[in-house]
Amino acid sequence: MKRWSRRLRQLAGGVLDLPQDVVLEVPRITMIGHLQMYIENHRGVLHFSEHELRLLLTNGQMIVSGEQLVIRAILPEEVLLEGRIGGVKFLETGPQGS
Amino acid sequence: MRNGLKEWVDGHITITVRGKRFERLLNMAVRDGIRIWNIRRVGAEVSRCDILIRDYFRLRPLLKETGCRSHVENRDGLPFWLLRVRRRAGLAIGAVLFFIGLYMLSSFVWSVEVTGTKHIDPARVIRAADEIGIKQGAWKVKLKEPLLLQKELLSLLPEAAWVGIDIQGTKVRLQVVEKEAPVKPLATGPRHLVAKKRAVIHKILPEVGKSQVTNNQLVEKGQVLISGIIGNDTRQQAVSARGKVQGEVWYVSNTSVPLKQTIYRLTGEKQEQQYLLVGSYAIQVWPFNKELFSEAQTSEKRYVPSYAGYTSPVGWKTVEYAQIEPVTKQLSTEEATEVAKKFARADILQKAGKDAFIQDEKVLHVTAENGKVYVSIHFSVIEEIAVEQPIVPQSPVNNGNP
Repeated sequence: MKRWSRRLRQLAGGVLDLPQDVVLEVPRITMIGHLQMYIENHRGVLHFSEHELRLLLTNGQMIVSGEQLVIRAILPEEVLLEGRIGGVKFLETGPQGS
Repeated sequence: MRNGLKEWVDGHITITVRGKRFERLLNMAVRDGIRIWNIRRVGAEVSRCDILIRDYFRLRPLLKETGCRSHVENRDGLPFWLLRVRRRAGLAIGAVLFFIGLYMLSSFVWSVEVTGTKHIDPARVIRAADEIGIKQGAWKVKLKEPLLLQKELLSLLPEAAWVGIDIQGTKVRLQVVEKEAPVKPLATGPRHLVAKKRAVIHKILPEVGKSQVTNNQLVEKGQVLISGIIGNDTRQQAVSARGKVQGEVWYVSNTSVPLKQTIYRLTGEKQEQQYLLVGSYAIQVWPFNKELFSEAQTSEKRYVPSYAGYTSPVGWKTVEYAQIEPVTKQLSTEEATEVAKKFARADILQKAGKDAFIQDEKVLHVTAENGKVYVSIHFSVIEEIAVEQPIVPQSPVNNGNP
């Protein structure tokens, strides 16, 4: 059932030319240089320290590493991060089986 | 996403949260709609964040749930500010009263100023303004429209062509433009025109009055030229005589002119001296070592920048010294006579008054003596000889004999 809905969504996205983040429930990330980062569509904070922000996504995790990280603002689905951002890494847990 | 003003008005605090499960607390708080911002890690298990005051009380059960402890670090915003103000109520009330007082006092007229009056007494303008409500201590709100006020003030001042009312803060400026009244001729009483000096009448033009003399008649000083009494013996009237009487007057002028004349001549040598002007002082700048000429003609040039009525306090002055030297010149008797004539003419014309001109001149004799030329010249000058003499009412005809 879940697979069918995923197929349908991908098809709809392709046919109707919808943005991928709307269709696939993946984060949309806006960066201003390496100083600011705006992440939409996250599912919660897993870990936060001065050097790392680990966010939960619909399928997987996202790791932002950097220096002097500060969460300027946070909403249920949005995070505004500031600091010297060094890198972004995605950990995919694969298609959710459960 | 964030609203700084709202945060400030509602009041916010900076708290440090100590606990292992800070991320969980954060997620729960966000899900509950608690606004948290400026989150940063300060230690291994210590984080700092900003939060609204009213959200802080909603955060407390979550803290208990996650086993975290919070500590308020800093308070900011309007509620805390008001609290601080309440502690210093006197100062706050004073500040508010000050502004209220300032506003109230500035809504009154404190001074009335009149400009532009020439013949109208400014006090009268102020009195007229008082009548329509513009006076010291008047409340500006109660005053009518400036245009209406202008009209009313103008009707109270019939001599004014226009009255401008300019309210500048607490000062009311009344600008008056007066009507140009036609110049009235000075009223003169009944009078004669009599001769100023002994002369031969050259021309007589009576405008008002009866002329008593004819052309080429010799008149003595004080003789009536144009009589102010008109009419015949039975019906007479005294008027203010008016007219023009030109007479030929003789003058003898004695002038002496030295034959040796010293004139000064420019040699062409020049020296410039520069000065810096500061205020009312002139500071000598260049050259420092002056070798001034023994005799020189100085001319000065000033450069002081000024704009729109403001003059710069700093300026520049250049003084130029042009050397002159005396030259002695020996005149011949003829030349000296000419010079003497010139002097004599200027002297005579000054004595004869305006509108006078020299009709004839004759050199009576010239003598050269002791290095000087003595010239005696006879001038016949046409000049205005009439002078007013009031008529005494009791004895109108026999003037001068009471």
